[in-house]
Amino acid sequence: MEARFDRVQFAYGDQPVVDVPELRFAAGRVTALLGPNGSGKSTLLRLLAGLERPRAGRVLLGEEPATAARASVAYAFQEAVFLSGTLRANLDLALRLRGLPPPERRARLAEAATACGVAHLLDRPANRLSGGEAQRANLARTLSLRAPLTLLDEPLAGFDERGRAQMLEELPALLRRFAGTTVLVTHDRDEALRLAEDLVLLREGRVRAAGPRREVFGSPPDPETAAFLGYTLIPTDAGLAGVAPGGLRPGPGEFMLTLHVEEIVDLVTSVEVVGRAHGERIAVAFPPDFPLPAPREQVTVSAPTEMVVSFTEPAPKRLTAPPARP
Amino acid sequence: MEAIWDGLVEAFRLIGTGDGELFSIAGRSLLVSGSATALAMLVGVPLGYLLGRARFPARTLILAAVGTGMGMPPVVAGLVIWLLLVRSGPFGGFELIYTKQAMIIAQFLIATPLVIAFTAASIQALPARLPDLLAVLGAGKLRTLWLLAREARLGLLAAVMAGFGAVVSEVGASMAVGGNLVGDTRVLTTAIVTETSRADTERAIAYGLVLLAMAFAIVAVLTVVQQRSPR
Repeated sequence: MEARFDRVQFAYGDQPVVDVPELRFAAGRVTALLGPNGSGKSTLLRLLAGLERPRAGRVLLGEEPATAARASVAYAFQEAVFLSGTLRANLDLALRLRGLPPPERRARLAEAATACGVAHLLDRPANRLSGGEAQRANLARTLSLRAPLTLLDEPLAGFDERGRAQMLEELPALLRRFAGTTVLVTHDRDEALRLAEDLVLLREGRVRAAGPRREVFGSPPDPETAAFLGYTLIPTDAGLAGVAPGGLRPGPGEFMLTLHVEEIVDLVTSVEVVGRAHGERIAVAFPPDFPLPAPREQVTVSAPTEMVVSFTEPAPKRLTAPPARP
Repeated sequence: MEAIWDGLVEAFRLIGTGDGELFSIAGRSLLVSGSATALAMLVGVPLGYLLGRARFPARTLILAAVGTGMGMPPVVAGLVIWLLLVRSGPFGGFELIYTKQAMIIAQFLIATPLVIAFTAASIQALPARLPDLLAVLGAGKLRTLWLLAREARLGLLAAVMAGFGAVVSEVGASMAVGGNLVGDTRVLTTAIVTETSRADTERAIAYGLVLLAMAFAIVAVLTVVQQRSPR
């Protein structure tokens, strides 16, 4: 199912929150809404779920307004909320509210619970599950609905580090199996790049960039968006440049800088050399076998031009092709 | 001490032999206080739900007013209803003063703030996202209200217990607007006052025991319902 925003404006009281002239979520694809806190990501999700009515414009799921198409949507809130009773009763209620007959409910419940790793928790009180268990149960409830449009708000919040890594690995397959069109909200760049095929970058309620992730990541429209994506911004004689995350390496190359070393940060598994170039404080990861400079020394660092974006033009200009791997 | 013992023995005899007057007064207490509590639930639960969920400018002020109402002395509620229903009052034409209906109205006034406050608190204690969850799962308005009420059942049943407990035990309002008329508006509490002033301690103790037993039985049933976990 395709979902789209058509000249949508939304405000809480007098405070404008979202202004989206046009935005499409392609059928069958996974899109991540990425942006800092307060950028309007969750509001976009609530508009898609029909929980909010736009002040102007239309939010359409297929050809229907979102507020009239709730049966097409499955939505996992960031905080897993359950009614009292067992997890089984909670999952069953969700399927019952969709009007499914008992045999199908039982089959879907078992399938989603097993796939999400919560089958052994089905007879436990849902409100007493731990953070990670509750998030998996939340996901199982959402995926069991097999809705044409699945919305996930920060699906990896609430997990500990190990659980998060595991979920990050499992989630793409789960989405392929259970979800149709998927829109997920995250404020974490790596999470978005791991999970989504398309990216929508939001800032202050406006879409700054949207499209396939490689395109969006490779061509940030402005320095603020680039900085949010992890680009290192460096003022040069030719204007402001942005270097993609991981682009800077010690030694000479195409886009060269002289780094005035200030400190060496030992991260145990790697070493970061932090210093200033053109007055900007930047950090460069040094490979383990590379000789480390001492503070107050000067070293040459560089980045391949395909990982450098220039912001001197009216529109941002990629110097060459987008990076092969973000 | 002997008087108390004799009183208790006589009280159990009255209860055991099914004393007609005792049971008719107890039945009247149950009818008046039960009706008042039911009406208070009918009005107080929706109002409490609104105060718990909705956000509007005068909300805090109304919550404060409800809180004040919770502590209203029954005799003041009785006085207000008496002033309204007395023959020369604005609603005197309805000829309700010194009737069971007048007692129900006065007790309704006492129980309603308690029901509103308990309901609002129990609705506010629910996870904020719960109504949104039910909406996205596709529950209609009535289904949503039912499921939310089920979630808030601890508070809602506490509202019934608090409301019923307050009105079944009050004496001031019943006396003021009911008049304690024998065979008509005399309830257990007003009967206890009357028998005590007549020094008929056996009957006063018997009425007291029945009142306690009645309150306990009702609260016990509600507590069992309240503590039963839903499937």
